Amino acid sequence: MTKTVILVQTIVGGLGIGSIYALVALGYSMVYRSMGLVNFAHGSIYMIGTYFGIIFYKGMVAGLHLPYWAAFIIGVVLTAILGVLLERLFRPLANLDLMLMLLGTIGVGIMLDNLAIIIWGAEGFAVKSPLPSKPILVGGVSLLPQMLLVIGVGTLLMIGLQTFLSRTKVGKAMRAAAQDREIASAMGIPVNFTNAVTFAIGSGLASAAGILAAPIVYVNPAMSAAVGIKGFAAAILGGLGSIPGAIVGGLLFGVIEAISAGFISSAYTKGIAFIIMVLVLMVKPSGIVGETTVEKV
Amino acid sequence: MKTRTTLWKTLALVALLALLLAMPKIARNDYQVRILNMTGLYILISLGLNIAMGYCGQINLAMGAFWAVGAYTAALLNVNFKWPFWLTLPAAMVATAVIGSVVALPSLKVRSHYLAIVTLGLGEVINIILVNEEKITRGAMGIPGIKRPSLFGFVFNSEQKYYYLVLAAVILGYLIARQITRHRFGRAFRAVRDDYVAAKAMGVNIGFYQILAITISAVYAGVAGVLFAHLNTYISPDIFEFRSTLFVLTMTMVGGMGNLLGSLVGGVLVILQEALRTFRDWQLVFYGVAVVLVVLFFPGGVMGIAARWRERQASRLARQADTGEAGNGPSGEAR
Repeated sequence: MTKTVILVQTIVGGLGIGSIYALVALGYSMVYRSMGLVNFAHGSIYMIGTYFGIIFYKGMVAGLHLPYWAAFIIGVVLTAILGVLLERLFRPLANLDLMLMLLGTIGVGIMLDNLAIIIWGAEGFAVKSPLPSKPILVGGVSLLPQMLLVIGVGTLLMIGLQTFLSRTKVGKAMRAAAQDREIASAMGIPVNFTNAVTFAIGSGLASAAGILAAPIVYVNPAMSAAVGIKGFAAAILGGLGSIPGAIVGGLLFGVIEAISAGFISSAYTKGIAFIIMVLVLMVKPSGIVGETTVEKV
Repeated sequence: MKTRTTLWKTLALVALLALLLAMPKIARNDYQVRILNMTGLYILISLGLNIAMGYCGQINLAMGAFWAVGAYTAALLNVNFKWPFWLTLPAAMVATAVIGSVVALPSLKVRSHYLAIVTLGLGEVINIILVNEEKITRGAMGIPGIKRPSLFGFVFNSEQKYYYLVLAAVILGYLIARQITRHRFGRAFRAVRDDYVAAKAMGVNIGFYQILAITISAVYAGVAGVLFAHLNTYISPDIFEFRSTLFVLTMTMVGGMGNLLGSLVGGVLVILQEALRTFRDWQLVFYGVAVVLVVLFFPGGVMGIAARWRERQASRLARQADTGEAGNGPSGEAR
């Protein structure tokens, strides 16, 4: 294998993992943009969302072995509903200062994590990919079908989100509410409703990310912390509250991780990614694209 | 009136001290004393966190890592070079101060949630280094054989004896923190927290104080780490998880941010958490629910409730004095 082939392969792998981070980062950013809430329970939502889908695929609910795509849809919908409920719980937190927000959302996260342990056990399990496990060879570069699925579906979801926000009435209302809560509600936009939709979409995207990643990673309740922190780091890297920022930040974080794992040191993968994030923030304190949030009164 | 309250205060303090000194005798077994010792260590970390976050408003999510740096410095110096506790302690304090000030550097550029993820990330980096630099730290195998400290031939070789060392450290740590927060540094810290733009305009060197606050918090965590290493005699990276940072964060918030007594009260939470252990998996679910309830209904923590109660008491007294005067007035006129 030549150097370029390895490099291309590493970057594609990085984009795959990066799509997962990007989908998770979108949840952080959308909620922050519209409510001014930094939701540290988002990693737990990602984990619960993964279980919500995978339990139907693995036959953990009444022995039901649904096809992967059906389990995917059920999981995303259930997690979106959970998101609506959580929005109601988090609404009073959005007006508090950051430390209380941090603690309150972490409290909810601890609650969700341990409920998951009680319901599904702490051990976790591997998930078989619905696609063949044999890599596809494209010009000497071998690609895992599940990885391509992650990148493909991830891209579709991101495009879909952008279209939804810019074309539909609800999407436009959401953007208006995110820009100026007061004026938007004065113009008759139900801000609490748009916030609930925002939370639902953010949670649904996290669930989608988790179900897509499940065949590549190991599914267990502890996955909430690892991906939760990296997704947040990705959102910050891109600029918290910015939708393109979340996507750029997520993909970049994934690619940096993959390259440092492949070429520098696999043990220091996470460390190198964090250090690069810190360095970027030192140069550009509001992230690559820049931060956007509601003006809090 | 005033002398009477100070008298009561002194009596209460003496009683509290007597109770604290008698604790190892009251405890039924070594395990309970161990919990008390761990509570003391958590209180020390919490005091540090309170200075950085409660007084100076600098979010520091690397406390677990500073704890680890303190513990590893002590362990390595003790095991490899036979340094006694009284030398590993200052050495570890210097080490955590240096690393703490490096982690604090980004606070010059970023704040609030950005600082949260930066300190969290750098803390993770420190933990990754501890796990992976196996030649120095023995990685996941950990370091066994750390010696218990001794003072003039008296060896702190049981949980009960060690308790007094921890108690002394906590009292000293509290008094030092009180000195720091009550005087010039404390005023500057609060100015940075409440309005850093105004503080800067008034000529406060905000960058210096931000780094100082985080460095002080790192040293507190480092001292707790040293005490832990010499107490447990064995350390490994998995003791210093991010979870411990979260735990200290919750105990400080529940006790009361921006009030050093809050850290002491928060220590009760450590004991309470142990008591809830009988509920197994549900323990942490309750814990999560409790945290959310505190944030929503008692955002100032226990000390916040106390302050509110005192205010209400004071306003009631004021009202009584008002109505008393109002009642006397007309009757005096009538006469």
